Amino acid sequence: MGENATHSSSGAHPVAAQLLVDPPQSGPWNMAVDQALLEAAASAESIVVRCYQWSRPTLSLGYFQKLADRSQHRASASAALVRRASGGGAILHDHELTYSLAIPASHARGGPLAAAIRDTGLLYRAVHTSLIRVLGGLGVSARLCEAAEADAGRDQPFLCFERRSAGDVLCAGFKIAGSAQRRYRGAILQHGSILLQRSEAAPELPGIADLTGVELSAAGLAHLWLPDLSEALGLECRPVELDPALRLRAAEWEAGRFGATEWTALK
Amino acid sequence: MSASRDPNQLKYAKTHEWVALDEGIATVGISAFAVEALTDLVYMELPEVGRQLAAGEAFGEIESVKAVSDLYSPVSGEVIAVNEDLAAHLERLNSDPYGAGWIVRIRVNADEKLAGLMDRKAYEKQCAEAEH
Repeated sequence: MGENATHSSSGAHPVAAQLLVDPPQSGPWNMAVDQALLEAAASAESIVVRCYQWSRPTLSLGYFQKLADRSQHRASASAALVRRASGGGAILHDHELTYSLAIPASHARGGPLAAAIRDTGLLYRAVHTSLIRVLGGLGVSARLCEAAEADAGRDQPFLCFERRSAGDVLCAGFKIAGSAQRRYRGAILQHGSILLQRSEAAPELPGIADLTGVELSAAGLAHLWLPDLSEALGLECRPVELDPALRLRAAEWEAGRFGATEWTALK
Repeated sequence: MSASRDPNQLKYAKTHEWVALDEGIATVGISAFAVEALTDLVYMELPEVGRQLAAGEAFGEIESVKAVSDLYSPVSGEVIAVNEDLAAHLERLNSDPYGAGWIVRIRVNADEKLAGLMDRKAYEKQCAEAEH
């Protein structure tokens, strides 16, 4: 798989994947489902693509961010709070489409995603390039952030969408989509946010509608994007419900980690 | 103590940690292959000295611009030293992963069998398979 091979797994048979489209749910539950998918991916075979939303405005802290730093951002003071397992800056999840991809470790041995497992940036760019392509078809002009535009050093803004790293999706100079990964025993979880519209809890961050006048619903964008994303990654997605065993495991992660004060205050 | 080691003389875990064993003390780091794959490292969390580790147990975490990854102990034993300077100089993982980029030293349990560790040749084969 070369730089664009995720889009050109042409010729190769697509790999079967499961597609989960979830209704808006709480921050702890959303993160717990992603964690359960990552955990399962360490030993399972099936790739999972998930689209989800948030039942109320929620600030998610990057894994290493300090809880005390939340006070820097007053506009989101009344938003719900959760700590992610992935790194990066804080995200205010409100009017957005959120996605995740869980890729089993077994796919490192071959197939269209093997190189993406090795190269952290490749999967990031492949997903974002697909998004840019689909947005382009909707009249939204977006592009990847170049390495030369990326932030340097450690003192980065509190909010993820005020940071810049190579491969982020930019529109009119603003970041409108970003992703982060958590790796676990060879498996990868990549999740990311696509900012559809400005939130009152993060008024400094315009979304696609504010920048372009193109109004998209999360469900509508997911419907339009998933076929391209599947092709780009060489996947054949089959809609499924969350497996009962995974649902149970997610409930355990929610109670024991993502919904627990100790986890939120971990750093 | 931080002189660069010959990667051909090290043992490797499937999860890309290397280990140099010397008189019951294991020095552990992560391979150049893993460092390259992570790209743009920004943060690292290390264990406390004195912590007991089982082989395969996560002992630390490393964050790159895009990803958070666990670090796994290739051996069972007690952490007796941590490379405290490394977190402030993550570039050493790139410039000298087998020397100044060492991460922890572990006093290996007497009954440790070093099971599952690979020599350089087997590890390179694993990495090559991941690339193709």
